This record gives sequence, C-alpha cells and structure tokens, in this order.
Amino acid sequence: MNHTPPDTLTVIDSGGGPDRGQINPPGTGTFGFVVLLLSLAVLFFSTMLGYAYVRWNAPEWPPPDMPPLPRTLWLSTLLIIVSSVTVQHAVRAVRRDDAGGLRTALVATWILGALFLIIQTMNYMSLASSNLTAKTNLYGFTFYMLTFLHALHVIGGLIPLAIVIRRAFQGRYSSFYHPGVRYQAMYWHFLDLIWLFIFVVLMLGS
Amino acid sequence: MTTTTYDGHAEEKNYLNAKPGIWSWLTTLDHKRIGVMYLISILFAFFLGGMLALLVRTELLTPGKTIVDADTYNQLFTLHGAIMIFLFIIPGIPAAIGNFVLPLMLGAKDVAFPRLNLLSWYLWITGAVFAIVSMVVGAVDTGWTFYTPYSTQTSTQVINMTMGVFILGFSSIFTGLNFVVTIHKLRPAGMTWWRMPLMLWGLYATAIIQVLATPVLGITLLLLVAERALGVGIFDPSLGGDPLLYQHFFWFYSHPAVYIMILPAMGVISELISVHSRKTIFGYHAIALSSVAIAAFSFIVWGHHMFTAMSPMGNMIFSALTFSVSIPSAVKTFNWLATLYRGHIRLNAPMLYALAFIFLFGIGGLTGLFLGALATDIHLHDTYFIVAHFHYVMFGGTVIAFLGGIHHWWPKMFGRMYNENLARIACLLIFLGFNFTFFTQFILGTMGMPRRYYDYIDTFATLHQFSTMGSYIMAVGFFLTAGYLIHSLVAGERAVENPWGAATLEWRTASPPIEHNFHETPDANYPYDYSVNRYNPETGNYDYIGPSRVDDHGHAVGFHGAESTT
Repeated sequence: MNHTPPDTLTVIDSGGGPDRGQINPPGTGTFGFVVLLLSLAVLFFSTMLGYAYVRWNAPEWPPPDMPPLPRTLWLSTLLIIVSSVTVQHAVRAVRRDDAGGLRTALVATWILGALFLIIQTMNYMSLASSNLTAKTNLYGFTFYMLTFLHALHVIGGLIPLAIVIRRAFQGRYSSFYHPGVRYQAMYWHFLDLIWLFIFVVLMLGS
Repeated sequence: MTTTTYDGHAEEKNYLNAKPGIWSWLTTLDHKRIGVMYLISILFAFFLGGMLALLVRTELLTPGKTIVDADTYNQLFTLHGAIMIFLFIIPGIPAAIGNFVLPLMLGAKDVAFPRLNLLSWYLWITGAVFAIVSMVVGAVDTGWTFYTPYSTQTSTQVINMTMGVFILGFSSIFTGLNFVVTIHKLRPAGMTWWRMPLMLWGLYATAIIQVLATPVLGITLLLLVAERALGVGIFDPSLGGDPLLYQHFFWFYSHPAVYIMILPAMGVISELISVHSRKTIFGYHAIALSSVAIAAFSFIVWGHHMFTAMSPMGNMIFSALTFSVSIPSAVKTFNWLATLYRGHIRLNAPMLYALAFIFLFGIGGLTGLFLGALATDIHLHDTYFIVAHFHYVMFGGTVIAFLGGIHHWWPKMFGRMYNENLARIACLLIFLGFNFTFFTQFILGTMGMPRRYYDYIDTFATLHQFSTMGSYIMAVGFFLTAGYLIHSLVAGERAVENPWGAATLEWRTASPPIEHNFHETPDANYPYDYSVNRYNPETGNYDYIGPSRVDDHGHAVGFHGAESTT
C-alpha cells in the first residue's frame, strides 16, 4: 500500500462528516479497516483452533464410513486466488485512471466470487449426497462451519463490491479518490488469505 | 489568559442545550451526547442488576425458602450476573465515561468515526432489548457463563439471551475499534505516546482486548445456538460433543473480558490519585506499560477457570501464567501509593473512591493468588470464596472506580457541583456495606458454602444474614448517590472550567463543554504537570497559565508551590 497517493478527501472516506467538523488525518479510514480485519481474523483463527481441538481429540479422522473432502475444493481455491489477482488489477487500474480496466477487473472479481460460492454449494451437495451433513457428526459439522462462515463473508463482500462496480460505471473513482476500491481490495485479499488458511487446515486435518 | 475564565463563556451554548429535542439526541454524532446516553442506559442496567442482587441476598436471609422458590432463585442470580457483566461493567467505563472524555483529553472534536460510535450505542440498546425480553418471557437459569450441556438442555430463554450478548459484542468491538483508531490518529501536536494521560493508556489497552477477544465470544455463542436450535452435537457429550471445548472457547474471551472491565478502571484511578493529591504521577511509564502487559497476559491465562478439567501439566502452566498477572497489577498499586506519598491529598469523593479502590482491589487481587494456586484452589473453587474474590475485583475495583470517575467528571459532564458531604457519606456507606456483604463471603467460602446454592445449613445462617444486611447498606448508599447527583443537576452550584486543578486537556474548556469541544485546539502539556494551572480564589477556578518550568523530557519541575490548595 506504499504507493497509495495522498488521500486529501479522507474526511468523507472515514466517516467523520462535516456535522462534527472532524478532520481525520490521511490513512485514518484505512487504519480503521485494518483493525476491523484483525478482529475478523481472530474470529476465523479461533474457529480453526476449535477445529484443531476436535480433530486431535478424535480417535479416527475422518470417522469410519465417512466420505473424504471433495476434490473440487482445489477448484474453489484456484478461483479465489485468481479473484485476488483481478481485484489487485482493479486497484492498479484506478491508480492509472484507467476507467475501462477498473470496470473489467471489478466485474471479473465479482463473477469469480460468485463462481466460488457456486462451487462451494456444489461441494456441500456432493457431501450431503454421501450422507454427510452438518448434523451427522463433528467431522461434518466442523467442515460446514469453517467453510460456511467463510462463504457468509464472501457474500458480505459481493454486496459492497456490487456497489463499488456501480460507482465505477458512474465514473466516481479517480486515481485521486477511490476509497471504495481500496477497502474492497483489502477485504478481498483478506478473504483469500483466510481461505488459504482454512484450506490448508482442512487438508492437513484429513 | 487569567481573566477569561468561567464568566466569559457563561452565556454560551453548550453541548447539552445546543440542539433541542429528543430527536437531536437520538441522531447525535457528538461523542459527549453519546457518552451521556450510554451513561443513562448502563445506569438503568445497573439498577436492574442491583435489584436482582437484593432479591438474591434477601432470599438467602434464611435457610430454605425465604421469598422465592429454587427455580426462580436460579433465574435471579443468572440474570443478575448476565446483566451486570454484559450490560453494565463491560461497557461501563469505556463506553460511558470513555466516550465522553477520550476526544476531550486528546483536544479533538470527536472520535475518528462518529457514526460508528452512534451505531455502537444502538447495538447496545438492541442487545439490551433481547436480554430484557428474555427476562420477561421466561428468564435464564444457567449462570452467566451459559455452561454446556445444561445451557443446551434447559427450557429457559438461552437463545434469546445469548443473541442479546452476541449483539452487545458488536457494540463492544466497534467502540474498541473507534478508540484504537482515535488514539493512534487524533493525538494533538505535542502529545506523544509518552505524554498521553494514563486514562487513555487504560482505554487503549482495553480497546485492543475488545477488538481481539470479543469475536471468540461471538463464535462460541453462535455454536451454542447451533447446538440448541439444530441439535448438532458440538458441546453436549450425549450428542457426541465435547463440553470442554465450550469452556476453552468461553474463557478465551471471558478471561480477557475481566481485563476489559478492570483496565479502564485502573486508568480512571491513575487520574484521580494524581489530580486529587496535587502531585505528578509516580512511575508514569511503569503504569502505562503495565496496562499493556496486563492486556497481553490476559490472553494466556484462561485455563485457570478449568483447573478441574485439564492435565496436571496444563494446570501448572496456567497457574504460573496466572501468578505473573499479579506483577503488572502490583506495579500499578505501588506506583499509586508512591504518588500519594507526601501529596496534598484532598479527601473529596473522587479521592475517597480512589482510596477505596486501592484497598478493595488489593484484597481482590491478593485473594486471587489463593485461587491461582492449585493446592488451595481445589478447596476454594465453586465456593463463596470465588464469589467474594470476583466481587472484590469487579465491584470493589471496577464499580468503585466508575463511581470515582463519575464524581470526578460530573462537573465537566453537566456543569454542576454535587454536594460533597453527602457524597462522602454515600461513599462510606457503599464501602462499609460492600465489605459487610462480601468479606463475610470469604469466610463462608472457606467454611465450605458452595456458590449458587439456594439452601444452606444453619451454621452459615448468621454470616449469610450479615452479608444480606451489608447489601442493604450498599443499597442505601446508592440511592443516596442517585439522589444528590440528580439534585445537583437542577440545584447544584455551577461548575467552573477546572474545579480540581487537573492538567489534562478536558479541563481546558467550559463546563459543560461547547458542542465542538474547544474554541481552538489546545496544545498538549505533560498531563500531570500541575504548575500549568494557578488557583484563582475569586472564581474558584484553576486558571491555565501554561507550562512554566519543564525539564528536557517535558516533565513538571517544582510544581508544589505553584498553586494554593483548597
């Protein structure tokens, strides 16, 4: 983030409206966003620790007659990594004032995110068809919990991403002013990183 | 500078009357108004929790049934605990007092994210509504810890209450986030980290825990609700779950939460002790860093709540880690005592509360050592000894500091002085009542009285009655406090800008402050350099005259003769 141009419009970007006459120094909003992501990271890591606790206390993992984790998890991992690349393209495009590139990259990110969710749903369906649901046992529950918690946050990212796309099409971003794109990219990289952790933990666990 | 005191600003609008109408309050972005709304809300919760406590103590006047049946008793102590912890003590000092003073102490106009601040208050209200609805439609009887498997089996309103607590968690995280960012980004020119008031160090350490520990409570409660609602076996062994997993999760948040409750209290006490003994704080760096050390330790001691459930090795590790928390706590205590030494101590209500804090927190902390030691904990755990220890820290510590802080900042918040003599009497009543109530419980605990029991053997009756009488004395003290504080709002003497002669920035604006806090951003001095003020006997105000004698590090030099004490 070192290349970020000085953001002179932080007042609008960081929530301190003209009502209170508050003028926040540059980077206040970004710093607040980092703190928020740290808080979210604790949520995911404690859930993964809970998984590890259940996993190491289980006599056998996966329990007998339980299906292995679906191979299509690799596909969803690939999709989310690529979406991280596209969202970074969007940031680079807006810094160059490349409006077309920004739009393309944002839309590509949105589609990849949606595809990721579709693949995750297919994973759930294939497990459910082998009689493994969240209610079957802790093996099933921990898998669904970790992935569903992440999926919820992806959904929670697609909605603001749609708003950012709309604003990009309205031409409201420039290399000078683009907090929405920047926060969206930070959040998306965060989701990507968290998914990689979840993926590694699940693969090591089984 | 010496002439523009209170009189100059007398006719000016302040934050309380700048905009009229209830709607202007409900939509306000002003941190001071949000702080006052928090204050009213949490005091309502405190009243509710206090009434429940009186009912619990009244029931325990005699063995067997006194006023309610056993099931109702279980609900009463659960609701007392849940309301006091989640609705009062956790948000108490940071969200009410902290919201009011933090931007003022920074010489800022507001926190970094005023809208998020207002959202936090609405989330608190939503969480409180959930909690109170659960009380009305059937209560909860699990104890405030919601231990599984009982909490997934009882027919009471566990889902409602835990959803309330879940929402309160968001309120707490957002307040913490706001404070972290505000302290990082909005410190004024001249205020380095090492020239920040210790109250802000306390709030900062608290905010870090709020942001990094509360999400764990969130996931824990969601899992609890999932188990109850879907019947998934996560924690209940009969469904294939593991109840210890719940305890690890729960205490990983709830132990740090204990420090969310005590750290801001320690911040308040650091201000009170220094200001009201008219002496610069002793060991500034040690006090500041011990707050951070306590916050760091808080994440690695949760296992001491589970000594009966872990391996001997695990127990020893957690026992040793628990003892290490006493080091930064003792560092603070001795620095406060050293600050008092040869100070010009004013025995007014804030100072009396600060002294009560040191005494009661001392007992609370020292009895904690017996609970951290494995050999004694085996005998004392789950007895009244725990109840007494917990209340000495939470009530004798946090609530006493909260009261001290309220008295200290009352003139700034509402522009009125309260009746000092009544305040001293109330403080004495609360102090005596508190010790009657809870010191007897240390004795009951060592004699073997188990916590949370409805009935007890006749041997314990005298001590139980003693304890109940103490709680009534405390209640009188609180009603007296409420009485003179409310009275002061209408008939209290008008407060000057700086009635205590404090050197932190919130005293460099009118009482109550104007809507935008300061006419011009004040430049920060060392917050415990009392030579920046000079007492004005005509107005009773300590006029700001600026730092006179300052050494290379910005510390006050020779401040003793700079003002006359009252």
